[in-house]
Amino acid sequence: MRQLLNAEKLCKTYHRSGTAVEALQEVSLHIEVGECLGVVGESGSGKSTLGRILLALEKPDRGDVRLQDHSIIGLKGKALREVRKHIQVVFQDPTSSLNQRLPIWRSVIEALDNFPEITPPFLEDVRHSRRDTAAKLLEMVGLKAEHLDRYPHELSGGQRQRVAIARGISLMPKLLICDEPTSSLDVTVQAQILQLLKRMKMELGMACLFISHDIAAVRLMSDRIIVMKEGRILDQFASRDIMSDERHEYTRKLVAVVS
Amino acid sequence: MTQILSIGAPILELKDLSICLHHGKQHQILVHDLNLMLRPGETLALVGESGSGKSLTANAVLGLLGNSLQISGGQILVCGEDIVPWSDKERRKLRGTGIGLVFQDYQGSFTPFIKIGKQFVETLRSHNSLSVQEAKLQAMNWLGRVGLPAERVFNSYPFQLSGGQRQRAAIAAALMLKPSLLIADEPTTALDVLTSETVLDLLDELQSQTGCAILMISHDLRQVLKRADTIAVMKEGRIVESGAAEVIRTRPTHAYTKMLLKSRPLLTEIHAQLLAEEQALAGTGDRLA
Repeated sequence: MRQLLNAEKLCKTYHRSGTAVEALQEVSLHIEVGECLGVVGESGSGKSTLGRILLALEKPDRGDVRLQDHSIIGLKGKALREVRKHIQVVFQDPTSSLNQRLPIWRSVIEALDNFPEITPPFLEDVRHSRRDTAAKLLEMVGLKAEHLDRYPHELSGGQRQRVAIARGISLMPKLLICDEPTSSLDVTVQAQILQLLKRMKMELGMACLFISHDIAAVRLMSDRIIVMKEGRILDQFASRDIMSDERHEYTRKLVAVVS
Repeated sequence: MTQILSIGAPILELKDLSICLHHGKQHQILVHDLNLMLRPGETLALVGESGSGKSLTANAVLGLLGNSLQISGGQILVCGEDIVPWSDKERRKLRGTGIGLVFQDYQGSFTPFIKIGKQFVETLRSHNSLSVQEAKLQAMNWLGRVGLPAERVFNSYPFQLSGGQRQRAAIAAALMLKPSLLIADEPTTALDVLTSETVLDLLDELQSQTGCAILMISHDLRQVLKRADTIAVMKEGRIVESGAAEVIRTRPTHAYTKMLLKSRPLLTEIHAQLLAEEQALAGTGDRLA
């Protein structure tokens, strides 16, 4: 397997009201092309900080992130734009990640509008028309043409998350970072969104970083799993070894709650 | 209120309860003919997704429906007495001492700018004739009982506590008035998985000590299956299935209950299925090679 992304010894400390919080302490990981890496941890484990650093939304204090052997730390302008093509994101709360004033179809093609030079293979037939492109993307995530002119508040939480996923895959990124993508949804909708993400990943051959506090969802989605606590990686393993006796005590606790 | 109870008589009984939403001249029934019964020491979980009417039902029992919502039919019997016709004042008294409350979010439970200890003392003194010293002693005692460092938490503001600590404090605040019924509306939804478990363990433990009944409102059927005696599954304002937790877990009959269970399979089930798929795939690979 070829390595897509490499993070080395990431450290990040936040200062809040005089106390230092070490959000990440020497966190190293890699993601291979087309692979899904799961990151599981509770709040304060540093998993979302990790996600933001890999998205180049935040800089680590120390350490390096390399996308196909090019560091993405401290990039600006054109170079950063280039990275954005390849790494896209789906956040937990689709309500705040979609522009409330834009009709759905405009939100869906937002990324493609930013990168007019990109035409992923699955959009070749429709790329000449922005609306047709949006319609095609909505269809891929199980929404209908009738949703094109709706506004976010007219959609259910699950439908909004489908829109966010449609936007996330629209550039056919090499890596899709999903930060708690189902945590704000009803349970039956959660299951549908996980299935959708899994299918998209298979069809498009994207790599995925799947961040969640739900170890069952992480097992479902991921090829490999990293367990984080208090800014450190405690355990990492191939998904199929999740029940192994060699698992860290903390991993076993997380497993026991949902078994 | 508790003295007049014979053992096993229901603490709470909903009979054909309907709740109606008024806007302008239109009205829409949001909860239809709900029937529930809860006895002392029992936990009943009302489970459903958003919009199912589970929280509305809890709010109706608490007398906390907004102006546009109205109980349009049926009875809410608390210890055998129908409280639907009660005045706001009578309801308020019931909320303090008869029915305790734990919300999902501490902002529902505590005033953000007053120290926890002061809020405890005020609550205790407004319901019992206690001196400040006596109330403080009781407050400290309860903070200890829910496993908190009593001294420190007493002198903390709500925001200085972690989510799990706040929820423990909220449970203490609700139970120190010795209610015969505790309504817990999504008490662990905002918490981590492991913290959730310890908070639910604590509720179990305090319930066996105090004998209060718990009405648990939850969206997570999987989680409450382990905790409740009885489960009622709600969808679109109706109870579609109810019964002993064990029966719901092993032999659910309604399609919606089955779907809720299927949406959240156990990790062990997910794991077994994925391994089987992996093996099947490897098998076809071998044959092709």
